[in-house]
Formats: sequence, structure tokens, C-alpha cells
Amino acid sequence: MKFRSLLLCAALVLASLSTFAADKVLYLYNWSEYLPESVIEGFEKETGIKVVYATFDSNEAMYAKLRLVDAKNSYDLVVPSTYYVSKMRKEGLLAPIDKHKLVGFDKLDPKLLNRFFDPGNEYSVPYLWGSTGIAINTDEVKPGSITRWVDLWRPEFKDRLLLTNDMREVFHVGLRVLGYSGNSTDPKQIEAAYKKLTTLVPNVRVYDSEAPRMPYLEGETDAGMIWNGEAFQAHGENPAIEYIYPEEGAALWMDSLVIPKRARNVENAYRFINYVLRPDVGKAISEEIGYATPNMGSLALLDVSLRNNRTVYPNSMDLKNTEFQIDVGDAVKVYEKYWELLKAGRD
Amino acid sequence: MKTRTPFKTAVLTVTWGWMIIFVLLPNLLVFSSSFLQRDELEFVRLPVTLENYTRLLDPLYGGVMLHSLWMAAVTTVVCLLLGYPFAFAVSRFPARLKPLLIFLVIVPFWTNSLVRTYAMKLLLSTNGIVNDLLITIGLIDEPLRMLYTEGAVIAGLVYILLPFMILPLYAVFEQLRRDLLEASYDLGAGRWETFVRVVLPLTLPGVIAGCLLVMLPAMGMFFTADVLGGAKNLLVGNIIKNQFLDARDWPFGAAASLMLTIVMALLLLAYYRSVKLIRRRGNDVALA
Repeated sequence: MKFRSLLLCAALVLASLSTFAADKVLYLYNWSEYLPESVIEGFEKETGIKVVYATFDSNEAMYAKLRLVDAKNSYDLVVPSTYYVSKMRKEGLLAPIDKHKLVGFDKLDPKLLNRFFDPGNEYSVPYLWGSTGIAINTDEVKPGSITRWVDLWRPEFKDRLLLTNDMREVFHVGLRVLGYSGNSTDPKQIEAAYKKLTTLVPNVRVYDSEAPRMPYLEGETDAGMIWNGEAFQAHGENPAIEYIYPEEGAALWMDSLVIPKRARNVENAYRFINYVLRPDVGKAISEEIGYATPNMGSLALLDVSLRNNRTVYPNSMDLKNTEFQIDVGDAVKVYEKYWELLKAGRD
Repeated sequence: MKTRTPFKTAVLTVTWGWMIIFVLLPNLLVFSSSFLQRDELEFVRLPVTLENYTRLLDPLYGGVMLHSLWMAAVTTVVCLLLGYPFAFAVSRFPARLKPLLIFLVIVPFWTNSLVRTYAMKLLLSTNGIVNDLLITIGLIDEPLRMLYTEGAVIAGLVYILLPFMILPLYAVFEQLRRDLLEASYDLGAGRWETFVRVVLPLTLPGVIAGCLLVMLPAMGMFFTADVLGGAKNLLVGNIIKNQFLDARDWPFGAAASLMLTIVMALLLLAYYRSVKLIRRRGNDVALA
């Protein structure tokens, strides 16, 4: 008798576990520090769906992980950058988005929809967009003394710079300094950028794509690359840290919500997308992490001071010479080769 | 003696099963991938090639390997210099205090080493606790630049690996017979001579075991180098991690990790040989 009740208990636990797994979970895979805790809590409270949240610090790592997990362990919602949306779309890793299930898709900025990486937004819903530019600590560096990427090469910055730990962004800097496009697919240009970047390495103190604001706040770096949202957050903690749109052009990027083909909780993924599409939620996200929302409904709700904050919402002058990152096709192998050489090289 | 109890069979099955599933199979997978080619979609594909190994011979990777060995060696020496006197001192404490002291050495293991590495960051950063303290007591005016240097990585490695040096050393010091030391003094040897000719040879197996336990992981602990060294690829472990996670070149990553395994195997072989040598010498001395 005892044994049987034990068995019953085990069966109950198993049953509850499996329904838990089937209905009430959302496996969300996002960039680190890219979604306020409060938004997850709000979603969980409202829907009763538990969010299992995992983070990555590079598109490459996210892609490798997604390729690796099987159907039983897959994620339900992922947030890749444009050039990985197109790559994953071409490779059949994504499930098409059923627009009928979306509420608020029509409020998204048409300028950010139907782009080259996903015509018709068949597979992706824009989440946030931003730029990779320069940060300086004005306590250590004279304001106005840095206006271009090439200024980072100055010998006074020996061991004082931060670069993001991101292949495409770092090469964007090398390529733009030489006057090439940050999306170049010409192996000669990429090699030239690599050679140029090797002369920047002595100035590099740290590569960081997890939370690039931290070395500036810790006092470890005086200048270097940063994402605008991280600069926005850093400025909030230490007003001496300022964001600069370099004259050669910042790198622009956009990250989108996509549903992997192997997702197990597709309906929950849609519910989360709809939650994020709500104007008040989009507003909360943009306010807290400092990237620009593609949602015009959220934009209308924003406080004027944030709406006019050029770090988060650049004006047309700031956007001069900027480029949106796009898929470079097979040239990515050339980038990878030189990226590895750049990082493994000793000085 | 050949009777097999069910218990014995069960234990053997579990042990062997464990070793085969979690040690042998993964290593076989790594071994076989290292001879394959990179594939964009499935990670690896045929045909068999030696290309990954020839790539390892590139001076670039040789440089990383040597640098990694150097960092690991410095870590080991520092651990030895700290651990040896410590283990000796603990072995001299009253018997009832010893378990407590060794327990204190083990306590940090209860916290994940990644968390402890991030804690080191708080200590070492320019606006961090150590600099604040030194400036407050007036020892320095300008903060020291400690974080994101090789020194910071070595400090992190020492912090995490020190117990692996202390524990084997403590074990040999516990077995060190006090009467041998007294005999040495009685026969006219001074402190220094007793240390060099009696204590050191008797504790050498512990020294070598501790050095191996520190040196081998020190080459692979990529997260310490990432967090405290600024992701500048200081260790072989970083190269391997990048191949698997970022570059998606599994065959090359597998080849690199196999090379690391071979280096470790050679070091273990050297250990085995040296212990044998020490034993034989010990016997010779005893016979003479």
C-alpha cells in the first residue's frame, strides 16, 4: 500500500512536470542585459507563463548553441541581429511568423520593416535598434578631442581602450577608418583592415561584449567602442562617460524577435512578442536599457528628455556615414580568419 | 577470492558504465572530430584530414601554447611557495585543530569558481577595494592598474587552484615521521641540511602531485583569462573555447584540446617516472 501511494506521488509529480513543460514555460534566449527584469516579471504575472531566460554575448555563440540543441531542448524565442536573421532564415532554422496572431505589429516604424535581411518580415519582428560608436571618460580625455574612429589609434591611449568582443563591429572600425564599407566582402579590404587593426591592439586593454559599460565605470578604460544603450546606462551612473558618433560612421544594427523552427512553446512565444509590442512595455524597455524602440506607439509615450537624447535616438547629423550591418555571405570566413589572427596575436 | 557479490558487480558496473559513457565516449568523439573537416551546418564532415594538426604548428598557436605554459608555470610556482609552508604549518598543529584548518581550505569550493572570479574583479579594479584601501592608508596616490593584466589572471588562477596544491602537500607532511628529523639533527645536520636532504626528498611526491594538479587546469581555465584578462586569448583554453563557440570550427578546436591532453599525459608520465625513481633511490639508500 505504501509502495503504491509512493508510485502515485511520483506519477503526480511527473505529470505536473510535464504539463509545466508543455504549457506554462517560455524558453527565451537574448543578449545579456537586453531586457529589464521587470518586463519578465510583468509577463509572468499576467500570463502565468514561466520565463526561462538565457543570455549570449555574441551572435556567433547564439548561432552555435541554436545549431547544437535538439528539438527537446530548443529555445522558443531568440533575438539575433539582422545579419544572423538572414543567415538563419536562409538555412531554414526559423519558423515563419503568423502576422494574424500579432497585436500591434502595425505600430512598428515602417522604415525598420521589410528590410533586406527579411523581406516582408516573414520571420522576424524588430525588437530594438542601436549603434556602436565611441565612449570616452571626460575625466581622463578632453571632451571634443575625439571625433573619429582613427583618434583611438593615438599613442596616449596605450592600454586604455575597450573594443567590443564582436568580430563584425571591430572590423567595421578598421574598414571605415580606411574608407571602406563596414560590410565589405572584398578579401583585400578585409585584410587591409586587419593590418590596420593590429596597430590598434597595443592600445586595447579589454575586449568586452557582455557589459561594455563596466570597464568604463570601473575606471579601467578611458575610451573605445561601446553600444549606445550601454553608454546611456553608464552615463546615468557616471555623467563623465559620454557617447560620440564618429565621423567615419557608427555601425547600426537591429535585433529582432524570431521563433526557431524547433520551438516547443510557439503559442507562448507569440504571447511574449505581443507583450513586448505593447506601447507601454516597449517604452519601459527603451527607458531602462537605453536602446531605440522600433515601436511608434512607445515612441509617442516616451518622456521628451529621452526622446531628445541623442545617445539613444540619434538625429540625422549623427546618422551621417552610418551603415546598417548586413550579411556578408561567404566573406564571413575571411573575417573569421583575420579575427582569430587579431586576437591570438601577441605583441 | 574470486567470488562476486551482487554488490561488487553493481559497483563495478556503475563505475565502468560511468567511465565509458562520460569519459571514454566524449574523448573518442573529440579524438575523431579532430581528424575531420569543418562543416557549416553539421559542424564536422568527412573526409579524414590532418589539416587541423598542421594548422596547430602555425607559429601563432605555438606562441599561444608557450605563453599558456608560461602562465601555468608561474601560477604553479606561486602556489607552491604559498602552499608548502602552509601545509607544513598545518601538519604541526594539534591533531584536533587540523580537520578544522583543512576544512577552511575547502570551504571556498562551496561557491562557484566563476562567482569567485567576478569577486576578484571587484577587488582588483581601478576603483576597486584594494586600490581604495591603499589610497586611504596613503600608501599610493594613483590607483594601480591591476585588472585586465596577466598578473590579474595569475592571481585569479592561484586563488582558485591553491587548495589543489595544499591538499596533496598536507597529505605527505602528515606522513612525515618526526623521528627521521630528530635522527637527522642527532647526526649533526643543521636545519637547512635536514630540510634539503630529509624533508624535501620525502615530500617530493606531494610537491609533484600538487604541481600537476595546479598546472594542468591552469592552462585550460578560459573563464579566468576572459574575466580577469580582458578576453585577450591568454590561455590555450580560450583558443579552444573560441573554436567551439564563436568560430564554429570544431575539428580544429578538437585538435587543440587533444594537444592539451597530450601535454598533460606527458606531464603525468614524467610524474609516474619520477615517483618510481624516488622510490628506487629510497630503497637504495635504505639498503646502503
